[in-house]
Amino acid sequence: MKTKQRNILLADDDKDDRYFFDKALKEIEVSANLITVNDGEALMAYLSENSEQLPDILFLDINMPGKNGLECLQGIQCNEKLKLLSVVMFSTSNDSQEISMLFKSGAHVYIHKPSDFSELKQVISHALPIADDKMVPASKVKYILNA
Amino acid sequence: MAKKIKSNVEELSNTQKELVFQKSEKEKLAAELVIAKKELSFLKKEKEKRLAELGIANKELVFQDEEKGKRAAELGIANIELAFQDEEKGKRAEELGIANIELAFQDEEKGKRAGELIIANKELLFQNQEKEKRAEELIIANEELLFQNKEKEKRAEELIIANKELLFQNKEKEKRAAELIIANKELLAFTYISSHDLQEPLRKIQTFVTIILENESKNLSEDGKYNFGRMQMAAGRMQQLIDDLLAFSRITTTELKFEKTSLSNIIDQVKAELKDTILEKKATIEASELGFVNIIPFQFRQLMYNLISNALKFSQPDIPSHILIKSILVKGSAAKNKKLSFVKDYCHITIKDNGIGFEPHFSERIFEVFQKLHGKEVYGGTGIGLAIVKKIIENHNGVITATSQLKKGASFDIYIPA
Repeated sequence: MKTKQRNILLADDDKDDRYFFDKALKEIEVSANLITVNDGEALMAYLSENSEQLPDILFLDINMPGKNGLECLQGIQCNEKLKLLSVVMFSTSNDSQEISMLFKSGAHVYIHKPSDFSELKQVISHALPIADDKMVPASKVKYILNA
Repeated sequence: MAKKIKSNVEELSNTQKELVFQKSEKEKLAAELVIAKKELSFLKKEKEKRLAELGIANKELVFQDEEKGKRAAELGIANIELAFQDEEKGKRAEELGIANIELAFQDEEKGKRAGELIIANKELLFQNQEKEKRAEELIIANEELLFQNKEKEKRAEELIIANKELLFQNKEKEKRAAELIIANKELLAFTYISSHDLQEPLRKIQTFVTIILENESKNLSEDGKYNFGRMQMAAGRMQQLIDDLLAFSRITTTELKFEKTSLSNIIDQVKAELKDTILEKKATIEASELGFVNIIPFQFRQLMYNLISNALKFSQPDIPSHILIKSILVKGSAAKNKKLSFVKDYCHITIKDNGIGFEPHFSERIFEVFQKLHGKEVYGGTGIGLAIVKKIIENHNGVITATSQLKKGASFDIYIPA
């Protein structure tokens, strides 16, 4: 698969984290088009407006004010038009109970946000090809990416 | 003639006197006749009365004769009746004869029964005597019971008071338990704050530092690079503190699920995790006689990780690290620890190393949170590792003790219910 332009959607309320993600994505040598939304409500609004042209992959922060990442994930899974979307959960949490709850709710990949920038680039570049497998949603690959 | 005239006069006087006498006699007889006449008339009257009475008596006799005839007739009838009764008596006599034979037989039987009754009576008498003895014994026993009952009542009263006291204490305990639940919730809230809010800014500092070191390294002076390096180390330490605190609070707040688990499996997992350090320290880990133990698997893995990584960390610089792990089944009495039941079976796990050890008087303090025996420049760490170990052992209703002498290695003894 040659480097085709991926449409990547990032939902994160934290300005610094959006900056890190954008910077990391630019430094990884992939062709990507990044769209960012700042919270859960904005994410769900974006998805319902663009349900015919969904992004290739969604990076979803968990700890957001208002509608949090888990609620967004559950909303996506309940929606016939959205449930094929590849979702990569993104959080600081290391809580195994919380993580298994996310996989039960339909997450494809879980990324524990690293504190090292080069590790961040690494986990994003690992997550992207996994998300490409969304064509076979029945065999959702469950990954925990811990740098 | 004078004499003859005197004699005549005398004769005449005598005759006169005779005449007077005769006259009075006549008068007497007349009077007697009168009386006799009266007597006769009275007798006549009496005869008439008797006649009349005889008439009545005759009538009476006639009546009596009649009555006698009647009685004779009645007697005849009565005699016939008697003859019949005699006949009946004869029959009865025959019947009585039969009945007498029967009675004689019954008498014999009664005699037999009487004999048996005598024996039975003797038996009863003996039994009565025995009963009396028992009755006496029972009286004594009853007195004893009465005394015991009184004692029991006293004890019951004491128990009532003790129960009231316990009830009060239970209420107090419930209050404390409720307070503990609140405190635990606060702890959970703290865990959440630690895991999200505290880690977020720290992670960002670390990420910014790595971006600068990665991208701006060539623009920094050596001094600047050194300072950024130190900053990165401080941030790393803070991250470790937060991680360890989180682990510590999770040990207290998460659900405790016991499973029969292979101790060898746990040691193997820990060895795999510590593979690099084991190679670096040229360490050998000798694990023998390890069986299955009833433990909370993920907590026990953490415990083993902390103890083994400690043993590796505090190894003597010039001697290859050697760690010996063994597990045996013992009675609580063997542990000589008052927190353990003397009679229960315990799994005694020993982790012994040949590292730098510590002075004996630190053997309690090393299990307290944030207690470190060395400066962080010499040995890193947060001082939480052994506090976590102790918490985990408490969760397993066990005890852990440490014994050591400086430079002579350390030995950790764990006792958990088998």
